[in-house]
Amino acid sequence: MTRTRRILATTVAMSMSFASLVHAAPPTVAGTSPATVLITTEQAAVSQPGRVLLEQTLARADVAAALQARGVSVDAARDRVAALTDAEAAHVAAQIDQAPAGGDALGVILTIFIVLLVTDILGFTKIFPFTRSIR
Amino acid sequence: MLNRRAALFGAAAVGLNGCATFDTPPQTAALMKGVAVPGSSGPGMAPAVELAAVPFFPQTRYHCGPAALATVLVHIGVKTSPEQLADAVFLPAREGALQPEMLAATRRAGALGVPLQPQLAALFQEVAAGNPPVVLQNLGLAWVPRWHYAVLVGYDLAQQTVVLRSGTVHRERMGFTLFERTWARGRHWAFAAVPPGRLPVTAGEADATQAAIGFERVASPAQAEQAYSSVLQRWPDSALAGLGQGNTRFAGGNLRGAAEAFERVALKHDSAAAWHNLAAVRSQLGETALARAAAERAVQRAATQEPNWRDAAERLLRGLPG
Repeated sequence: MTRTRRILATTVAMSMSFASLVHAAPPTVAGTSPATVLITTEQAAVSQPGRVLLEQTLARADVAAALQARGVSVDAARDRVAALTDAEAAHVAAQIDQAPAGGDALGVILTIFIVLLVTDILGFTKIFPFTRSIR
Repeated sequence: MLNRRAALFGAAAVGLNGCATFDTPPQTAALMKGVAVPGSSGPGMAPAVELAAVPFFPQTRYHCGPAALATVLVHIGVKTSPEQLADAVFLPAREGALQPEMLAATRRAGALGVPLQPQLAALFQEVAAGNPPVVLQNLGLAWVPRWHYAVLVGYDLAQQTVVLRSGTVHRERMGFTLFERTWARGRHWAFAAVPPGRLPVTAGEADATQAAIGFERVASPAQAEQAYSSVLQRWPDSALAGLGQGNTRFAGGNLRGAAEAFERVALKHDSAAAWHNLAAVRSQLGETALARAAAERAVQRAATQEPNWRDAAERLLRGLPG
């Protein structure tokens, strides 16, 4: 990880842990004490809430920074991370460059072109619109 | 001879990884066997279905994710477009969209994205039920992946073909064999988008519950409650969905309803989290004695069975008046 990315991640981490504190505040109901903090459904769904919560704040900050480093605008990255569950955020943080990214990329060099042409015809792949599998 | 040579060449080309053989892939084979049995066509499956009314958004370069997502969302009545969704899922440096972000964008659009069982039969049952699944395919090979999202809108057991909204092709017909291979290379990943209050017919309990939990992050309390209710309707014993129902009622200001939901889970599952939340809500309702009883039960239960909630339960009990 580059130095800039580390700094970016730390900044985002701090702003996000603050944001999550604000977010975790219970909804205020008129005429009642504001001290009610419930265990969230998402917390109940994980086995080790304390540890996981800390990891996830870091993971979320990492994801936001990683999305930005890969061309997503600051605002869009924030909204996108907020919509991920903790488990999804952790997964994206760990796998962002390896996880499948469906996109239809057709940047194939010549040898691979020939291999894929053959596998297309044999019915293993479907790269080229003009091929028809023999099976 | 020619066939054998072709097979050898094919095996070499595919990379000798042992996965690629000329055998019919397993699920296709099983489906065909089910169909071949006289008088049965799989587990009550319609022989052929095509959802012709599912819209089509031809993708622009790299944007199959937003296009597939727009296809299923517009189908269930969400007003959106691939251009709008691109901001929510497209990752420029990867020239594509990641799976978790496809689910997250679905919830941001007001629908639940529920991952499906890794079975062709499950996909077909969803199509028959009017829930066209988004599928992840690897159209290339394991070592030259070409990841692609498409929407499955039809199948024909007799012809052994599926119909996809795929890329720039409105009705891409593909044999079961090729479809299963490309989908298996995408680790059999698929999801259905449904409005809150509904669930895919084949969804598993864990997937449906997780989808509702994700939805709760971004939805209004009323909509999130609908999502949990649909999970409870199908799996009345789900402790998490019961807890979610209580939490979303609380978030919507319905304290009585929240207390009822928490109490139901607490009594049925003796769950520390449910006792904890029940105590907190009762305290806020001014029912101090009942709140104390529930908090004591939460502490007791956490001490013996669910140590994760010990701190929270003890803190709550200490904070109760009197």
